[in-house]
Amino acid sequence: MTPHISPAIITRIREFGESDLMVSYLTADRGLLKGVAKGARRSRRRFPNCLELFCLSDMEYEQKKRGDLVFLHSCRLVDAFPGLRSDYHSLALASYMAELTEVLFPPGVVDKRIFELLKNSLHALDEGFRGDILRILFEGRALALAGYSIDLDCCCQCGRRYAGEGRAVFNRVKGGIGCLKCEEERVDSPGLAPESINALRIIQSSSWDQLKNLELTEEAIREITPVIRLHMEYRVGRPLKTAKFLP
Amino acid sequence: MTMGIYPPSLEKLIEHFTLLPGIGQKSATRMALFILKSERGVAEGLARSLMEVKEKIRLCSTCFNLTDDDPCSICLDRNRAGQTVCVVEGPGDLLALEASGTYRGKYHVLHGVLSPLDGIGPEHLKIGELLNRLETEGIREVILATNPTTEGEATASFLAKALLKKDSHLKVTRIALGVPMGGDLKYMDPMTLQHALKSRMPINR
Repeated sequence: MTPHISPAIITRIREFGESDLMVSYLTADRGLLKGVAKGARRSRRRFPNCLELFCLSDMEYEQKKRGDLVFLHSCRLVDAFPGLRSDYHSLALASYMAELTEVLFPPGVVDKRIFELLKNSLHALDEGFRGDILRILFEGRALALAGYSIDLDCCCQCGRRYAGEGRAVFNRVKGGIGCLKCEEERVDSPGLAPESINALRIIQSSSWDQLKNLELTEEAIREITPVIRLHMEYRVGRPLKTAKFLP
Repeated sequence: MTMGIYPPSLEKLIEHFTLLPGIGQKSATRMALFILKSERGVAEGLARSLMEVKEKIRLCSTCFNLTDDDPCSICLDRNRAGQTVCVVEGPGDLLALEASGTYRGKYHVLHGVLSPLDGIGPEHLKIGELLNRLETEGIREVILATNPTTEGEATASFLAKALLKKDSHLKVTRIALGVPMGGDLKYMDPMTLQHALKSRMPINR
């Protein structure tokens, strides 16, 4: 097979054998891949400092006919996102976004939009974007891209269409909102104001260009945060390992 | 264990060698056959060394380097600058710095770097112990010598903040980044070249 070049975001690296590296990376055109960079720890010519966690690199690789591992030929650094290196909380959030991507888009599931979302989110983090807002933007959009959108159009119990007329309650089992006649606000069923529902709708359906300019009120952040978290935990089925390192 | 082509005792030895990092089945078989062919003394010496390492080697209670005696010889050395501490990721990094022969201060071994993806947070490293040393040893300078990887840099930033929060008069420095000896600029990445140019040094006439 001929070598293929893809822009890639490196999501995991571990030492492999004497001088090799095992690298996991997300590409726009072939999804999540895992491959061996032979001699990468010894020679810096084919991989000149580009095999670093969360770096955006142009990866030249070859997919084998058999087996899941690819063979990495060479790599060229495009963006190292240096801001992630100078702040532990940024590193923790980048790790969280990478882990969520791996869970929602395992090898074989290809979606160019998740690559763009992760790339733009790392870029925003690098430039000092507010961490708590970036987290909900990423979570909400990534879940929607993976097919786990929260249904915000009608009551998940009685089916009445929601037209933005008042507060609604999130139902994590149904993965949607319920009207106040059918649902009651509780810790595990948090309430949402019409403005928060509208913001959540935008988060789930918009491209990064729209998301980065989205103005969220403090109240919307406070309301959306637990809803997305409950929804994600229920859909993913377990808390993410990196979540405990987030502030 | 599955039935192999070798006698069970030899298969067992091969299996144990494969537990070592970077050793696959083939290398393990080669090593086991070498032991088998060698004099009895080689096998006995190896077995003794393995047990001695497990029984004697521990961490220095001050710097957390590997040592036979606690405190370690570096911490006990009065000829070293006691007010300067160099923070490294692991014992291997300490050995590399010692081999350079340039540094004559004390050390502190973190035993890892912050790595949320691997489940490693500040509480898993010897960070609290480093902060305690500031007071007990009257440290004036801390050199952060973690590797220039994403996690190594983030760990250095985290430590710098924590150290300066504890003692705002402390001198905290970071080892330099740039073009290595024998390096070729053509093969350098933009980030390394940026660092190299930013930290350029005047040549003394």
